[in-house]
Amino acid sequence: MYLKELTELDGVSGDEGRVRDFIKEKIESKVDSVKVDVLGNLIAFKKGTKSNRKFVLAAHMDEVGFMVTNVEDDGTLSFAPVGGVDPRVIVGKHVRIKGEVPGVIGYKAIHLQKRNEILESPKYENLRINIGASSKDEATQKVEIGDYVSFATDFRCENSRATGKAFDDRAGCAVLMEIIERSERFEDDLYFAFLVQEETGLRGSAVLFEQLQPNLALVIEGTTAGDDPGLPEHQWATHLGDGPAITFMHRGYVVNKKIYESILQVAQKYDIKHQPKRRTAGGTDAARLAKTGGGVPAGVISVPARYIHSPLSVIDVDDFKNTVSLVGKILEEGEGFAR
Amino acid sequence: MIDLIKELTESYGPSGREEEVQKVVLKHLEGHIDGHRFDPLGNLLVWKKGKSDKKVLLDAHIDEIGLVVTNIDDKGFLRIEPVGGVSPYTYVGHRVRFPKATGVVYYEGETPEEQKKNLSNLTFDHLFVDIGACDRKEAESIVPIGTFGVYDSYFYENGKYLVSKSMDDRIGCAVLVEVFKNLKDPRHTVIGSFSVQEEIGLVGASVAAYDFSPLLCVAVDVTDSADYPKGLKRHAMALGKGPAIKIKDRASISHRKVVELLEQAAQKAGVPYQKEVLTFGGTNAAVLQRTKEGIPSATLSIPTRYVHSPSETVSLNDVEGAVKLLVSFIDLELEL
Repeated sequence: MYLKELTELDGVSGDEGRVRDFIKEKIESKVDSVKVDVLGNLIAFKKGTKSNRKFVLAAHMDEVGFMVTNVEDDGTLSFAPVGGVDPRVIVGKHVRIKGEVPGVIGYKAIHLQKRNEILESPKYENLRINIGASSKDEATQKVEIGDYVSFATDFRCENSRATGKAFDDRAGCAVLMEIIERSERFEDDLYFAFLVQEETGLRGSAVLFEQLQPNLALVIEGTTAGDDPGLPEHQWATHLGDGPAITFMHRGYVVNKKIYESILQVAQKYDIKHQPKRRTAGGTDAARLAKTGGGVPAGVISVPARYIHSPLSVIDVDDFKNTVSLVGKILEEGEGFAR
Repeated sequence: MIDLIKELTESYGPSGREEEVQKVVLKHLEGHIDGHRFDPLGNLLVWKKGKSDKKVLLDAHIDEIGLVVTNIDDKGFLRIEPVGGVSPYTYVGHRVRFPKATGVVYYEGETPEEQKKNLSNLTFDHLFVDIGACDRKEAESIVPIGTFGVYDSYFYENGKYLVSKSMDDRIGCAVLVEVFKNLKDPRHTVIGSFSVQEEIGLVGASVAAYDFSPLLCVAVDVTDSADYPKGLKRHAMALGKGPAIKIKDRASISHRKVVELLEQAAQKAGVPYQKEVLTFGGTNAAVLQRTKEGIPSATLSIPTRYVHSPSETVSLNDVEGAVKLLVSFIDLELEL
């Protein structure tokens, strides 16, 4: 299981190199070929025993984070989000710039806030990253404008629950890597696509069609749980511990009916715990794949994660293992899947 | 044609679940086309070969807006989210039709004050559906989570107008079917795309033209008619004045030359027409024009009152005009 290594690497959208290098090194010897395309997607190929279909398994390597927009005179850094990050979840947190320089995001002490201010959401304009520099000169020796900033969160696992950053979508990357570990060949030609820049608008997946002309795809994601105290149960998207979440519709795409139903059938057939994803908000690379080239019908299977797009999210490791099992069984179905 | 419109609009086909409507379309096209196929996304593509080597693609989306079941509670009540641009208000007290059940949609409120508050700030989170089930298990067996529903509405003739759910865009589908029926020995090859998943983001049409590389595309869709009390300011479209040739909406600007050809076709056929500038909205033309290296595209609209409600209203006159216009269009030389 590569969850620890993968989530502790920094790879904000457009800066996926560390994640890509790690994955590439681990999988190279286990697949038929590996390539990195122009946008930076890592695509591994494993030939099938029948090779009648090209089947893409996709997960995105990037995570949400920030970019340094200016180095201020006092040595603090102004920054902007890359991907969707709620500013309320970032104050008082550790960050890492370029994967190496530690920093903190501070906020004015409660003593200095007026009563009504306490209830207000902080604005990016009023937040700074502090890297321990006391002047612009000192700061620019370590960082410059355009540097990427990630949350600095260690992976921890206790009992069956794990905490860390970037489960969206390193969990998906880890699922793909588990599948690659399996030595057997499946009926369909398999392409493992580790994609870039999903969080900034489904960009990496936009160039898959012209390279591969796939027949179908499965997007493996880390997705919203929503099972927290603030929401009534009927508004939960998914629930930790109930198994992989299977999407029937999300923003910009209704999942191909045959694929959706086939995923459910496989899960039922092998008695793998699973749940429908019960909210339609949020999009995935499936929407982009459907809309590019001649169209790629895609399904979406996700590992539920609480508090995604924040410095710290929580998954159930059994959900992860069940996702690996489900995806594995789908591949074992071979050409019978979604036929 | 009225029977065709009734059958098409009363069919069930929310985005992603268009099979039933496609069957109706294929049934009516039998004997009028040279072939058909379904592409990987489920778009129904039909064609009739012409004498020239030019190909024209006509598009109408076959899906309609709807609802999808996202949760079921212990007592068997359903929770829903919209599929496409649906106002929650159109469903209050109205009915939703699922493949195996019909349900009543209503809103929460534990006090009269809360009811009032919820109704004035209505969201889908306030709504629930009652399908008459006794508990979760019974409801799940009839409408499992992930089941799609549509307005439970029927077609009728309201004076000189036609009223139904899903005129958007079954009326476009009806126009395409009638066009194919009227093409005996067409000058150019005509491809019809009955495209899926338009309402949630122009999905099907994004890839429908990919394999054909047509000379040009015309999307046939509805546009908002402004001719009712306090209807949209600045908009000219009205029922009964003929089909509307779109110049611009929020998602696309019609290709100038295709607009000119559509006008020529109308004049040649003696069909009155309107020009349309819509300050919002979009049609499949927006993605058809961006396919591959780019395809000159435009939209021919059927002016429609109360778009995205259970009672979308059109004039048969405009619909028949659109058919004549397009038949005449295909008989032009189509020099771009």
